[in-house]
Amino acid sequence: MKELTAEDTSLLELVDRLLNKGVVLAGEATISVAGIDLIYLGLNVVLAAVETIEKAQERRAS
Amino acid sequence: MTLLAHAIAASPPATLSQEGLRGRPLAWSEAGDLGLWSTEWAPDIKLERPDALEHHRLIERICAAQPCLPVRFGTAFATSDDARASLDKRAAALHAALTRVAGKTELALTLLWRESPGPLLIESAAGPGRQYMETRRAEFAAREARRARAETMVDRVVAELTIDRQLVWHETCTSDNVAVSLAVLVPTEQAAERKAELERVAARFPDVIPVLNGPWPPYTFARTD
Repeated sequence: MKELTAEDTSLLELVDRLLNKGVVLAGEATISVAGIDLIYLGLNVVLAAVETIEKAQERRAS
Repeated sequence: MTLLAHAIAASPPATLSQEGLRGRPLAWSEAGDLGLWSTEWAPDIKLERPDALEHHRLIERICAAQPCLPVRFGTAFATSDDARASLDKRAAALHAALTRVAGKTELALTLLWRESPGPLLIESAAGPGRQYMETRRAEFAAREARRARAETMVDRVVAELTIDRQLVWHETCTSDNVAVSLAVLVPTEQAAERKAELERVAARFPDVIPVLNGPWPPYTFARTD
């Protein structure tokens, strides 16, 4: 398991707020910008890279 | 023209620089006595990671000028009318949330375990099935012990800071590293003092590394559902 640094943690906490907190307005209009789903996925993958991807790599290696 | 939403505020809008995300125009869409701050966006421009951080800086700028509710990053409206209709539908809840966060700011405390949970090796004279079950039981007990310890730390933080529970949000053991992720809503003018208090309380826990962030806009306390 990779240890999270204070910098990792600060960025994770902030991005978690940007993506998962805040007011959610009108669901039907929320995803009206092309590619948003991919962007969310991209950001989540970047975040997951801190530990989840490493775990997956460890599993593959074992 | 698509509008990329940033924050909701009460009208009249504060006087702000008209520069939104990536230097595009910042717009105000008013619905009754509420309004939405957004950037005039083009649907073919894809949002990228730096846009999320710029969205955060924009919200900070708006919140510094007037009480506001951050909107989740990536929320967009096809037209200003759509944005107004969305505010109208939730006006009462949005007003209540604005009242809740007015004059307040968010501090974030994350407690990281100093040590990772080690592999559990259960010695047993019994067969592999029994050994497997005993290992599983020991892992469960270890997880529960960590969770209980994390909850104890949250209780202590809340008690020592004498914070109203309604102004505290927390999660425990969200990953192997994280013991506690906690957010607290504090009066903006007391943010520095409260942050120092949080730091002092958290530093007394020997088994975790505290990471403090903020003051931030009140992301965690802006929800209306």
